[in-house]
Amino acid sequence: MAEPVQLPLPGFDQARARWRRDYEAQIGTDRVVRNRSGIEVKPIYTPDDWDGSRYMEELGFPGAPPFTRGIYPTMHRGRTWTQRQLIGLGTPEDFNLRIRKIIAAGATGLSLIPCNSVYRGYDVDECPIELLGTCGTTVNSVDDMDRCLEGVDLGRISTALNDPSPFTLLALLLVVAEKRGVPWSSITGTSNQSDYLSHFVANHMFFRLALPGARRVLLDHIEFALEKIPGWNPLSVVGQHMQQGGATPAEAMGLTLSTAIQYATDLIEGRGHAPDKVLPKFTFFFDISISFFEEVAKFRAGRRIWQRIARERFGAKDPRSWRFKFHGQTSGVDLTRQQPLNNIARATVQAMAGIFGGLQSMHVDAYDEVLSVPTEKAAKIAIATQNILREEAHLTDVIDPLGGSYYVETLTNEMEAKIEAVIAKIDAAGGMYRACETGLVQTMLGESALAFQEKVESGEEKIVGVNAYREEGDAVDVPALDRPAREAMEAQIARLVRYKEARDQAATRRALDGLARAANSTSDNVFGAVVEAARAGATHGEICATLRRELGFGDVLVVP
Amino acid sequence: MTERPPKILVTKIGFDGHDRGSRIVAAYLRDAGMDVVYTGPWQQIPAVVKLALEEDIDVLGISSLATDHLLVPKLIEALREAGLGHIPVVVGGIVPPEEEPALRAAGVAAIFHPGASREEIVAEVGRLARLARAAVEGDV
Amino acid sequence: MTASLVERLLRGEPAALARAITAVETESARGRDILRAVQPRLGRARLVGFTGPPGAGKSTLVGAYVGELRKRGKSVGVIAVDPSSPISGGAILGDRLRMTEHAGDPGVFIRSLASRGHLGGLSPAASRIADLMDAAGKDVVILETVGAGQSEVEVAEVADVAVVVCAPGLGDDVQAIKAGILEIADVLVVNKSDLPLADRTRRQLKAMLQLRAARVDVAVLSTTATSGEGVAALADAVEAVWAAKGRPPPGTRLKRIIAEAAAREIRAKILASPQLAALSSAVERGELDVATAAAALVRALGED
Ligand SMILES: Nc1nc2c(ncn2[C@@H]2O[C@H](COP(=O)(O)OP(=O)(O)OP(=O)(O)O)[C@@H](O)[C@H]2O)c(=O)[nH]1
Ligand SMILES: [Mg+2]
Repeated sequence: MAEPVQLPLPGFDQARARWRRDYEAQIGTDRVVRNRSGIEVKPIYTPDDWDGSRYMEELGFPGAPPFTRGIYPTMHRGRTWTQRQLIGLGTPEDFNLRIRKIIAAGATGLSLIPCNSVYRGYDVDECPIELLGTCGTTVNSVDDMDRCLEGVDLGRISTALNDPSPFTLLALLLVVAEKRGVPWSSITGTSNQSDYLSHFVANHMFFRLALPGARRVLLDHIEFALEKIPGWNPLSVVGQHMQQGGATPAEAMGLTLSTAIQYATDLIEGRGHAPDKVLPKFTFFFDISISFFEEVAKFRAGRRIWQRIARERFGAKDPRSWRFKFHGQTSGVDLTRQQPLNNIARATVQAMAGIFGGLQSMHVDAYDEVLSVPTEKAAKIAIATQNILREEAHLTDVIDPLGGSYYVETLTNEMEAKIEAVIAKIDAAGGMYRACETGLVQTMLGESALAFQEKVESGEEKIVGVNAYREEGDAVDVPALDRPAREAMEAQIARLVRYKEARDQAATRRALDGLARAANSTSDNVFGAVVEAARAGATHGEICATLRRELGFGDVLVVP
Repeated sequence: MTERPPKILVTKIGFDGHDRGSRIVAAYLRDAGMDVVYTGPWQQIPAVVKLALEEDIDVLGISSLATDHLLVPKLIEALREAGLGHIPVVVGGIVPPEEEPALRAAGVAAIFHPGASREEIVAEVGRLARLARAAVEGDV
Repeated sequence: MTASLVERLLRGEPAALARAITAVETESARGRDILRAVQPRLGRARLVGFTGPPGAGKSTLVGAYVGELRKRGKSVGVIAVDPSSPISGGAILGDRLRMTEHAGDPGVFIRSLASRGHLGGLSPAASRIADLMDAAGKDVVILETVGAGQSEVEVAEVADVAVVVCAPGLGDDVQAIKAGILEIADVLVVNKSDLPLADRTRRQLKAMLQLRAARVDVAVLSTTATSGEGVAALADAVEAVWAAKGRPPPGTRLKRIIAEAAAREIRAKILASPQLAALSSAVERGELDVATAAAALVRALGED
């Protein structure tokens, strides 16, 4: 019978001193570790860093300010996130085929990614055919939208449109609903790409009006939706573009909150709306990088800051105004072309960060996104990843499971300070609109992108298969791409030409003239005039061309 | 006679505008001592040809993250027609493996995939620039 | 070979102009031959210099001004100088991306140039490249440089008309616009007049102009390069200066170019001369003063 060994419980200070001695003896020269946002990360966190004594100020309970632990009382234990896979490919018929499959499989939401030609404000008959339908669906007319949504009950399905200013896709959708006798009041969904400032600085994919015009059209669009499509979310503030453009996670969160502050100010001070009327409509969209703890802390801190902004800056009283609702997308920037199946592991970690960060809706990147437009097989794995995390790993059983971790709480506080510093910098520059106009934000992004790349080049940041653990012949069998058939695109162009010939030309002309007048008046709602034009048969390209002419084109502010 | 540093055009054609990559590459080449003519995205092919001609560039770099590389064969054709067939065209970004052969066949001199290192890019662009310059000096 | 390049250049072929510029830029023998061959044909083009602090909107304004000149039926050449990195020697040439509206216009030829060792200033080649554009038949040649240090004075020497561009809100407003730069202005422009404080900047500049050494009245104009406002008035003002100044005799400029080239040669010779080391140690030891040492060097130079 062995004699049990009894250990006296050492005092905290004594134990800490002893650990430090042992740690230093064994580690040799310690390295300084910093996360992507530049915060130094220590080897251990203890009650010295966070002791829970400010629990109520810093955390509280989910569903109540400061919302650190989540914006709803039940969080993922009640309702998990919406699994939103973005789709868009080829012709309207191709798209329709895919979404009918998805709806048959039980989906209640759909998303529409238009072709880049649509993003850029052109009709198919204005573009090089090689590029058409390769990244999304070609939708230019009411006829196209009608075919995209054939057999879909518009009153029952929520639609996310990747629809930048001037929101023609929404206009086409509204006209299709009208034709089918579906009341606008039953239409639900989101304008996913309404954040013109983020397009302006970080992502030059989108059709852009010159800044003053873009500002005007967004506000008109939001007001139109508030009044006429109550189930619509007209605004999503897109932090993803910032982070993909090079911002660190803290910068991305700070710039996104500054953008939201700008839009809220424009609506509340500029247009005289009550804060509690507009703020509940704000939603956010973020990139989730693989820097796991940093991302969790980014989202927790973001929630805390937003409720403070809503209450303190804007005086919002309604709790719905305080809630920081966000969609997360696992970051494509972290994915590698080398050993591409490894991307499944990366997306899994990113998705976990999003879940622990408390997101409301998520898109997990397919592992082959870095190689091409995702294939169907890879998209299925992305869905399965989420199902596995939820059903098998039980990640959603406990609300905010990392809450109370000495490290996570300390990091959340430190990220909060970093984010606040970014917001203060933008405030000092005169707000986000001004900071984008002068190129300040672009410079910040460029510098951070280069700094990160230099860490990769130097090996300080390791990327498996790229600068570490490389293998010869890394190529895997990548499934063949589905480039749309040239004949199908030729037919699509021919169909649009016929559409333009067959419509009531005088009515179209009048509606486009009306759009031009609205753009030049100070009182008309420009988005209302976009809907009118779509109703009269005008196409996306014609509507964009009219506004480009009247409001000016938002040329790229290139800051090399 | 003074040496002119390699002169590189870094540009984007087609629809996509993500310029994080092209900005980083432009900075790399500048830091390696090259002159970089930098444009924004969305350049039209005739404009790129005119620019390449006026600037007398040594290498033309196209950054493509979506499907803009599909236009590169047209660009190379247009360069040839303008008498600029000697300018090597390189593509950086996302090029699906099965579309590489078509680009090579069209005359693309190098393709840099995500993860290509700074040294690799700088060395290859520098090498191509010297070859192109030598070819021009030989024929005037 | 060169003869045919010269013929093509004189016919205004863009490809020939581009090649000729490279030859001159690299100070090659071919470049010298080309310049000699075209020299008698020079003097048709008007040369306008645009200078001013970084970010004032020079390139954007040049782009808009080119548009105005095109409307008036003029063909245009642009030389846009960007600073080289003092560390790597490389440069990002980004001016022309503000001039993209002329991307398809055969009547506009734009060439970017790195300043090389000439910190922020003009490379000696810039003025000869302007000559090549003249030879190629451009009606107006525009030279854009950042106004830093020496360059603005050089611009004034090279250009027939010097346009100085300022903008509100650049650092401490007018403090950023050094007095020297005002001295050379034939036309002074406050760009970005859509921004707040533009009027204040304009008034401050006018006040500063009063202090300037006696000179003819200088027009102070307001422009918004991004919308084109005020650009026609700028074109008128430049024409008015032309009309008032008249065409400078070609000899003036040539003399200066020759003198500069000679000065560069002499400097190179001096730096390479064996006497320099000896004289410099003598100065170091306190045996000679700098002026006497310099005079001795010049004498020695004359002797060989
Ligand atoms: N608001 C406003 N912005 C302008 C105007 N003109 C130029 N800009 C902006 O100012 C920034 C700098 O313009 P550039 O034309 O590159 O200025 P620059 O003087 O050539 O700059 P450097 O060549 O870098 O010295 C760009 O973002 C332009 O869009 C103007 O009239 N109003
Ligand atoms: Mg410039």
